[in-house]
This record gives sequence, C-alpha cells and structure tokens, in this order.
Amino acid sequence: MKVAANSLELRASRLWQSLGAVAQTALVLLVVSGISFLFLKLSPGDPVALMLGSDFSRDSYDQLYRNLGLDRPWLQQYFHWLSRFVLGEWGSSYVSKQDIFELAVLQALPVTLTLAALSLLVALAVGIPLGVLAAIKRNSWMDILASAIAIGGNAFPSFYLGVVLIWIFSVAFGWFPSMGYVSPWSDPLGGLWHLALPALTLGAWYVGLIATVTRSSLLEVLEQPYMAAARARGEPEWRVIWVHGMRNVLMPLVTIIGLQLGGMLRGAVMTEVVFTLPGLGMMITNAVQTREYLVVQAGIMITALLFIAVNLLVDRTYTILDPRLRKK
Amino acid sequence: MKAPMLHVKNLTLRRKGVAVLDDVSISLPTGQTLALIGESGAGKSTLAFAAMGLVRPPEVELQGRLMVGDTDIVTAQERTLRQLRGARMGMIFQDASAALNPCFTVLEHLAEPLRRHQHLRKDECMNRAVELLASVGIADPEARLKAYPHELSGGMQQRVMIAIALACEPQLLIADEPTSALDVTIQAQIMSLLLGRVRALGASAIFVLHDLALATQVADRVAVMYAGQIVEEGPAAEVLNHPRHPYTRGLRASAIEFDAERLSPIAGVVPSLSAMPPGCRFAPRCAQATTQCSTHKPSFAAIGNVGVSCWNP
Amino acid sequence: MTIATPSLISESGYWHRFQGSFARFWRPVRRQRKALAGLGIVCLFVLVAVFAPALAPYSPTEQNFADAMQGPSWKHWMGTDSYGQDILSRTFYGARSALWIGFASVSLGLLVGVAVGLLAGLRGGRIEWALMRAVDGLLAFPELIMAMAFMAVLGLGMNNVILALALSFVGPFARTVRADVLQVKARPFIEAARLMDVPEREIILRHVLPNIASPILIQAGMRISIAILLASGLSFLGLGVVPPTPDWGLMIAEGRGFISMAPWMAGMPGLALATLLIGLNLLAEGLRDALDPRTRGEHS
Repeated sequence: MKVAANSLELRASRLWQSLGAVAQTALVLLVVSGISFLFLKLSPGDPVALMLGSDFSRDSYDQLYRNLGLDRPWLQQYFHWLSRFVLGEWGSSYVSKQDIFELAVLQALPVTLTLAALSLLVALAVGIPLGVLAAIKRNSWMDILASAIAIGGNAFPSFYLGVVLIWIFSVAFGWFPSMGYVSPWSDPLGGLWHLALPALTLGAWYVGLIATVTRSSLLEVLEQPYMAAARARGEPEWRVIWVHGMRNVLMPLVTIIGLQLGGMLRGAVMTEVVFTLPGLGMMITNAVQTREYLVVQAGIMITALLFIAVNLLVDRTYTILDPRLRKK
Repeated sequence: MKAPMLHVKNLTLRRKGVAVLDDVSISLPTGQTLALIGESGAGKSTLAFAAMGLVRPPEVELQGRLMVGDTDIVTAQERTLRQLRGARMGMIFQDASAALNPCFTVLEHLAEPLRRHQHLRKDECMNRAVELLASVGIADPEARLKAYPHELSGGMQQRVMIAIALACEPQLLIADEPTSALDVTIQAQIMSLLLGRVRALGASAIFVLHDLALATQVADRVAVMYAGQIVEEGPAAEVLNHPRHPYTRGLRASAIEFDAERLSPIAGVVPSLSAMPPGCRFAPRCAQATTQCSTHKPSFAAIGNVGVSCWNP
Repeated sequence: MTIATPSLISESGYWHRFQGSFARFWRPVRRQRKALAGLGIVCLFVLVAVFAPALAPYSPTEQNFADAMQGPSWKHWMGTDSYGQDILSRTFYGARSALWIGFASVSLGLLVGVAVGLLAGLRGGRIEWALMRAVDGLLAFPELIMAMAFMAVLGLGMNNVILALALSFVGPFARTVRADVLQVKARPFIEAARLMDVPEREIILRHVLPNIASPILIQAGMRISIAILLASGLSFLGLGVVPPTPDWGLMIAEGRGFISMAPWMAGMPGLALATLLIGLNLLAEGLRDALDPRTRGEHS
C-alpha cells in the first residue's frame, strides 16, 4: 500500500518538474534559433547587394546596410531577428518576392505533413500485421520473408526506391503519375492518386522498422504470464494477441517511431524531390541551389521546430500508453 | 456417486518427442482438493496447464484421456475449451504481478470474464466486481477498481487474481504455486482465503505445490510426481504421514519442518527428460533399488487407499 | 587457425591471451550468418573500390557520344549514360567515393564527438550543462537538413560533403559518448584510481577510453551506412559531389531524367548502393546480435 506523500509537497514538486521540462524545451528552442541565425550570418553572399539588384550606388548600399541593422553587434541583430521571426515576419524571397512565411508555413508545410501522415499510415497498415505474423509464426518462412522485407525496406534509399517505383508504375504500367501534387483535402481521389507512389516510397522505409520492432516486442510479450492468464480466462486467440498483447507493444512502437522521425524527414525531402511535390524538402533544396538563404533558414527552423514538437508529443503519449509511467 | 471432477487416464504428453508427462492417471472427486507435489520439472505445472486445455497440439502431442467434468480435453474443440476456461475452470498463477496486464485496470480485468461468459452489462459488471473484491478481503473495493496492477501490493495482486479466477464461479480451480511469490507473513492469509472461497463455492481445486507441510493443511488428496510420472497418490494424511514410495519418504525426510534434527537430502539429480533410464525413473537415486527396478517400469498398484508405483514400497 | 609465430612470443602468456580474446570475439560472430553475409558484401565492395582502376574496363569520365544511351551489351556491361560514359566503370568508381566519404566523415565526426562527449562527461558541472544544451540544439535538426544547410554555407564538392556530414554527426556521437562516460565514471575503480592520486590524464587514457571504446566503435560502424546514404542523397539533390565525379547519387539523379528511355542509368548504380547498404546493415545488426550477451550462442 503506497503511502500518500504530503499533498502540497507533491503538487509543488510536480509543478517544478513540469516547469523544468518547459524551461528545457525553451532553452533548446533558443539554441536552435541561435544556430539558425548563425547559419544565416555565415552563409556566403551579400544580402544587401542581392536586395538592391544590379545597379546601385555606394550611398544606397550604405543606407540599406544601416537600415537592415547590419552594422549592429551580432547579438543585437540576433534579438532583432528573433523578435521578427516569432511574429511571423520572415522576409521575402529575392527571386519571387513571395512572403517566406506564406511560402513555408502555409504552402510547403501542409504538403510535407500530408505526405508524412499518409506514409506513416501506410507503414503502420503494412508493418504491424507483418510484424505480428512474423512473431506468431516464428522461424517459419513467413518470419524470414517479413525480416527480408524489413531489411530491404530499410536499406533501399528513398530516392532510389522512388525512381524504381516511377519506372515500374508510372512508365511501364502507367497507373500513377510521376510528379505533381494535388491536395487530398480539396480533392481526395486526385490527391490520393498523386500521393500513392510517394507515400509508398516513404512508407517503405518505415515499414521495415515497424515490422522489426513489432516482431521483437511481441515475441517478448508472448512469453509473459498475463498472456497465458488471458487465455485461461477463455479469451479467443485473436483478442489475446491484439488486445492484450499489442497494447503492450504500443510503447516500444511509439518510441521507435518518435526516434526515427529524423529519418522520416530525410526520406520526405528525397521523396518530395523525386516526385516534385512542393513541400518543405523541395523548398529547401531549391533555396540552397538558388542561394536563397532566407528561405533555407526558414526551412531549417521549421524542421527543427517540427522535430521538437513531435518529440514532445511522443513524450506525452508515453504516459498515456504505459500506466506504470504515470505518477501517482 | 457423482462423476469425478477430474479424471485422467494414461495421459502422455510429448513436447518435441520428449515425454513430459508419461502415462499419468489420476482422479479427483467433486468438491475435493488435490495437491500436486514434486520438484521443479516434475511435470506438475504441465499437468495443471494441460487440464485447462492450454497445452495442446500442435506444440505438443497428447495421448490418453483427460476428462474435466464430462469434457475430454484431449479431443475437444478449441471453441468448446474456450467456453469452459474462465467459466467452469479458473486458474491462478504463481506471480500475480506478471499475470496481470500492466495496461489494464482491476475493473477491466474483472469485467473481461464477466462480459464474455455471463454477458453482464457495464453497470452489472461494476457491481459484481465490487462484490468479488470484497469477497477476497480487499478493503474499499470501489476505489481499487480504477487501480493498475503495479499500484497494488503483492498480496493484493494475488487477491485480485483469485477474484478474477472465481468471477464466474467455476467448478474447478487450478492454482499454480499461488503463494510462493509472496511474503511468508501473507502466505497463510492468502491460502486460507483461497480455501475458504473454494469451499464456499463447493468447487474442486488442484493446487500445484512444492511445500509438503502446506499440502497437508490444504489438500484432501495428494499426488506426488517425479520426472513426469505420478509415483504415489492418495488421501493427504495417508500419503504424507505414512509414505510408501521411496521418493515420497525422501521428500518427507528432506523437508525441514518435519524432522528438524538433520537435513537429509535425496542424493543425485533428476535425469534429463530426454535421457530417462529404462524401468523405474527413480531407481538411480533409490536406496532400495533392485535389478528389477532398473529394467522394468513398475505398475501403479493400490495399497489400501493409496496408489503407489514401486516394486518395493 | 594456425599462424606461424616466433617461439618466444608464442610461449609468453600474452599470445595465448590475445589468441583467446580474439577467438572469443570471433566465435559468436562466426555463428551469425547475418554478420558473415554482411561482411562478405562489404568486403566485396571494398575490394572493388580499392582495385577500381584495375577492374574498370573504361575510364569513368571517358565520354563517347557515339555510344551514348546504350543498354547493357557485351561492350558495356551496364550500358552507357547520356555522355557515353561506361556505367559499369562509373559504378565501380562510385564505390570509391561512397566508401571514402562514409569512412572519412564518420571518423572526423567521431573524433570531435568523442572529444566533446569526454569533456562533458568528465568535467561535469557547468561545462557539461552548456555543452549538452548545445548538443540538444544540434540534435533538433534532422541530419539531412543540417547537412544541406552546411553545404549551403560551405559550397559543393566531396571534401565539403565530408565536412558537412562530419559536423552533422558530432551531435549524436557527443551524446552517446557522454552517456557512456557517465556510466564508466560511476564505476568504483575510477573512484579508486582517483583516491590513489592517479593523474587525470592517465585515468582518461588507461581507464575510461578502453571501456567506452567498443560500444562507440560499434556505433561508428553503424553510422557509416547512414553516412553513405546521406552522401548519396546530397549528391542526388545536387547538393553534394559535383559532376563529372562518379557518384551513385549523381548517377541516379542523372538517370532519373531518362528513366523511360534508359532505365539502366539509374537502375544499376542504385542497385549497387542498395546492396552496399544492405550489406552494412546486416553486418552491423549481426555484430550487435553476436556481441549482445543475451543472443550470444543463438543461431541467427
């Protein structure tokens, strides 16, 4: 019987802990913004000259230089940039004159998120049953096949797989388009048709991972007495595996999905370029090639923020999934 | 005379070709308790799990008859067995902390058999769950319903397991070393609780134990197992106070509670199941073994109301 | 295995101990089919990379427009690309750049990462806190994105790719090294050494480093496949190696434009890349399984 601690003490310590977590996240965000700012300052090229165009006088150069605050100390410039960044004033592209915030957050980000979500769904839908099958029929040919798919999916680089899929399904069979993006939110059928191959490409990488983790976790879970206890209560086998077993597999699964998010983002970048989807990856790649450093900076900030946000989300889900982690 | 609750006849269970249970025969009348005694690996837990129908082809081969009530477990369909398990047969595991799913609350555990076998609605489940928890001696049952297994003490976890096993008022309860994972101080409490509930229901029970003294206190009948065979079987007092089989005598002598003057362990070790000697399996360690013991497997003969498998009891 | 050794060495206990420890390492590895398959593949690629000049039938940059865009034939076993360059030769040389980039970037990143991790783990206090917060920030950027950003700052080319990747690896290495150092630091023999007034440098060299060496090296090994993947990816995006350097990522990118007419342009180097990555992954997984005390002795 656990003895309840002094309730006030308990609440104070929990508040302190969540404060600490918030502070830690804020600190990481600060470091991230610092790195992004540093990136911009270190990138080659002269932003003033770029903004002025081809013909400019010494005076207008100096004036713009001072206007942009480039003569101030770096620390001051950093805070200035940060305050504008937080407000969503990210500047505009040199080439297209489009507002970068609009480009990055309103146009590119949703595309990437849609692609990622769809791919994750595909990966889960294929990977989990594969893993379960491999665990139940251990060491049979199904297990070996599943492991082979897992290793293969993990090793094939997304960009190569994308090209192969294009060759097979787009060129040879002509079933799916090889490029272009239609938003599934406005046109579900068209959107899914365009996203089918990309989602498959990006999902393939994850399928292997999910199948492997599902298989090994489930193998461990199958040994546990509570599985036999459930059978002893008369539960049918499918319920024993999918309700009693998989519930305990969710934690390691979510962990691995969260941990491998970097890999998914990497795959997303490649997939977007292969299939010409106007997402964050495409945006950053183009920006680097055309030396649009402001856009690149926006891109890396968004991806870092996304990363941190998802990690936080994953942390939150831990406590929901595993009651043992909840504090009493 | 009522049909026996458990009736096993010439049951042989092979796992990967090795006979884990060899020609086991035993009967348990309704309303009585049986204790299965023996060392680890003797096959007691295997027999208990087999009685629940949890050890089945294709992982193992089963030969013989294993009747629980009027159902032959060996030949029954899985669907039939599933209806029996949890409803007419209940099982209690050794380590309650591992036998309870860490992701589900006490209520969810209890509701499972209630919904499946008795088709209770949600509110009926809740009431019945509270009743059950109270019947196993848990204070403040409503509060405990929302608890997760790791929030309960060892004793309470075992009580919850008992409540789950008895939820649908089974006629046969199988308990696999129900108290060995608990503190000594709680063992007696839990054991008497278990016995009390079983008797109140008029059910039969099979206890798998390795503690002889405990067996005398809880069981009506005792069966001693060695290396997959039953070597002696009969009323508890008879078997334990006047053991006939050399192994039983050895067990009694090596039990600390019985004879505190000297520890006399049984010499030798249990032979591996895949390399069993022909003839009596205990012969290599038996002080009174004869040549007949080493070559011929003894038959199970009755001496009074006790059955013994020995050439020289 | 019999090795001829001078009698003096073989009779000393040292040789027997060395043999014993190597054999103890080799035996579980030998039993893991996964690791052996992986090792075989990797060795094959290494050999091809090292002996590419001798093995390749043509120079990788020899252009021959008359033969451009030909499919696989006796003259060109893997066909030719849009410049008439022999794909087989370019694939062989591509192995060179891939393996070199992988190895160099991981080594560089390892050096810096270990230094940072050691510093953080051993010094503790504010230095550790500051370093780890910096690492946290670095780790918030996905590796490819960070590498792309570095390439934007540094410019293209193979050396810059190596540098960019190495910088991206500093974060993960630093974090792992620090965690390992903390683990070792907590062990009693370190405290004992301190109490005996052993100088700090000796503690680091003789006690800490050897104990963190093996998990770090295993991790480094696993990183190589990620490095090769990232490097090819960067080249594919046009942000890595510059043409006409033979590089698988570049070749796949070039081949993509001609996928309907000449699928072998992208297909062949891609297969090579995938095979090498599979081999590296198998090797890494196999090694990990072999050295994991739980699975030691099990067949794969």
